[in-house]
Amino acid sequence: MTLQLKNISKSFPGVKALDDVSVVFSASEVHALLGENGAGKSTLIKAICGIHKADSGSIELGEKTLNLTSLKDGMRQGITIVNQEIQVFSESSVAENIMIDKLDNYRGFGGINWSKLNADALGYLDLVGLEIDPETPIGGLSAAQKQLIQIAKAISSEATVILLDEPTSSITANEVAKLFEVIRDLKAKGYTLIFVSHKLEEVLEICDRVTVLRDGQHVGTRCISEVDKQAIIEMMIGRKILIENFSRLDADPKDIVLEADGLTSAGLIEDASFKLRRGEVLGLYGLVGSGRTELAKTIIGHFPVSAGVLKVHGKTAKIRSVADCIAKHNIGYVSENRKEDGLFLDFDIETNMTIPIWKRIQNPLTRAINIKKQRETAHDLMAALDVRATGIDQRVGDLSGGNQQKISIAKWLAADCDILIIDEPSVGVDIGAKTMIHKLIWDLANTEKKSIILISSDMPEMISLASRILVFKEKRITGEVPGIAEPDQDYEALSRDIGKLMA
Amino acid sequence: MFLTRLKTGKIISGAESGILGAAFLLILLFALASDSFLTQYNLFNLTRTQSLYVFVALSQAVMLATGNMNLSVGAIAGLTAVIFGVCVDTLELAWPLALLIALGTALFCGAFNGFVMTVLGVNSFIVSLSTLFIFTGFVYGISEGYSYRNIPADFVRIGRGNFLGLPYLFYLMVGTLAAVWYMFRYTVFGRQVLATGSNLEAAKLSGINTDRIIMGANLLSAFFAGVGGLLWVSRLGSAQPAIGQNWLIISFAVAIIGGTALAGGRITAIGLFGGGLIMVLIKNGLILVQANVYFEQAFLGSIILLTILLDRAREIWSHKARKS
Repeated sequence: MTLQLKNISKSFPGVKALDDVSVVFSASEVHALLGENGAGKSTLIKAICGIHKADSGSIELGEKTLNLTSLKDGMRQGITIVNQEIQVFSESSVAENIMIDKLDNYRGFGGINWSKLNADALGYLDLVGLEIDPETPIGGLSAAQKQLIQIAKAISSEATVILLDEPTSSITANEVAKLFEVIRDLKAKGYTLIFVSHKLEEVLEICDRVTVLRDGQHVGTRCISEVDKQAIIEMMIGRKILIENFSRLDADPKDIVLEADGLTSAGLIEDASFKLRRGEVLGLYGLVGSGRTELAKTIIGHFPVSAGVLKVHGKTAKIRSVADCIAKHNIGYVSENRKEDGLFLDFDIETNMTIPIWKRIQNPLTRAINIKKQRETAHDLMAALDVRATGIDQRVGDLSGGNQQKISIAKWLAADCDILIIDEPSVGVDIGAKTMIHKLIWDLANTEKKSIILISSDMPEMISLASRILVFKEKRITGEVPGIAEPDQDYEALSRDIGKLMA
Repeated sequence: MFLTRLKTGKIISGAESGILGAAFLLILLFALASDSFLTQYNLFNLTRTQSLYVFVALSQAVMLATGNMNLSVGAIAGLTAVIFGVCVDTLELAWPLALLIALGTALFCGAFNGFVMTVLGVNSFIVSLSTLFIFTGFVYGISEGYSYRNIPADFVRIGRGNFLGLPYLFYLMVGTLAAVWYMFRYTVFGRQVLATGSNLEAAKLSGINTDRIIMGANLLSAFFAGVGGLLWVSRLGSAQPAIGQNWLIISFAVAIIGGTALAGGRITAIGLFGGGLIMVLIKNGLILVQANVYFEQAFLGSIILLTILLDRAREIWSHKARKS
């Protein structure tokens, strides 16, 4: 059935996540939904399957206008999501996993009518091309088989729209081929399939049309025959918008503060070599999962180094933990997921800002933290970064995204880090705070001579700020391009260069 | 919020005044209901038991604050008591030396729990459930079920003596709670414990050595359990292997009634004081109203559940208040 989104908008405090998005997902089509971090893709998925309610606009399935109140409601109406994390009851049989929400229909005399349940499950297994005994416990099956079973489950619930959220992220190439066969088969049977993935090769192979979101807006929908990988990347990273005019940072190429040589963390980042100079912003650019965040987390000791050397200020550094990294090398990391692992949402601003400096401001005799010093630090940083809050004692969870982001950066300013890694600083942040954060990053490098590693999916942000940009693809650094040197430099050419290195 | 409140200068938070208020209401109720309640003898007994409960609760609360738990606190207390008994009764060692050996045993138990949790990465529930049986096994293996009755009089005085009408144990509790208050308000370790309990991943990425914090909390938990066990010996005048058997419910009940967050990140010394008081008042009250003592555990369990529900309701309410 045709799923039609009309003028969907959705705002969260401080950010417009979706801005007037209209898309038609047709029956018998595989429709790719693409967009980088913060583009609004996950908000749109949640709006489609009923988890979020849009502020305005409507969703129509066939002739019917939907007003979904929950994921379950969405499933009742025939919209099902197959998640990237494979969700199964591993102790139960394949048949039970498929029929789990319909067990009531199989209530027989003195319990479940197993033979009927298994027979019906077999029918659905057949539809997804799996030849396994429905009584097999699901725990021992491969990730791909579990994925297919999830699809079988969706079909059994009479879904007509199936959202596949990064279905290939944990399965092998052979299994992907199998999955695609099933997807083609479902397409022929008239299902509406929405395919969300960061792997553009797969999108080109399996999808009929592609819709790209950026900054909460619908950039465009194209037939797959009209585009290539390069064109899709260009749609995702955008045209010349909001390039801010920061002048070129002149970092001394010989003043190296951090150097990686063949740095590898098995399965996460391979053979990364680069040099970071004092007073520069080094950009790491690539799709999600391409190795940029993985490299950052390897540097700070969150992931183990399996090969290669890391040198800090010319000396080989063996960083075993984040605690080690901060205590010995003073490298700070601003997480890309500030709510999950960057901030303590239940604690106040003061506590969040001063966590890394507690050890430094304690009285060696009484072991007490200098509360006065702590308050001063928080007050100063709040003023310097223009954090909008009722006071330093406000709970961080109650602040807007932009103010939260300022606080996650502020804590490393308090710690006076020489090297600061900032991961996706402007995701879910309003435009005012975004400009402010950009100015801050640039000032830190320019006036304070800090060395910054900037990770971002936002191309204009990257090009405005970075002195040099390392491009990542499939866990490797594929090349380096200069950032914007002169205000009139050709932005289009630069983003094309980056696009080529990613493709 | 504990950390928030500290810097706003208010001495007592809303939650804490609620706990103390509830305790006060119970006192008022029992004082009106029974003539024997406000007698010197009864007050001495009440505060003495309250003090013991607070040590029991502390052993659980420091683990809860990190977002973990320790089901083996009672077993550690029992083992500490039995080791102390062996030292003073069988081996006839001087009691201060026996005390050190017994507390050393408790710390060893805590270190063992901490080691399995951090180095081997096993969930605290599983670890402490297993060690609950292991340590209990040693309690009965060593004592063969018998009590050690030959406890030095000087040591027994700690648990039975009084100063200005209040038991020594009461002063010991107040001093310990003051130290706990100081630790969580001012020291890096205390604050890092709360941060670890509030958000483990964020704590790691903020440079907190969370393994060290969880190990520290295990040692502290075992230390409080050991001290609690020894104080129980001192009060009873004999080292009984049964010490610690009823700690599981008391440790959780007093900690939770006392405002410790089950999910971690919150502990309050004043709340624990109130929690211990409420617990002892309820137990006392059940006797006063001649409730069937065989049902006692059902009452206590219901009170834990009620406290959690109240806390949940308060959270939902304050969440709504913030949104609007």
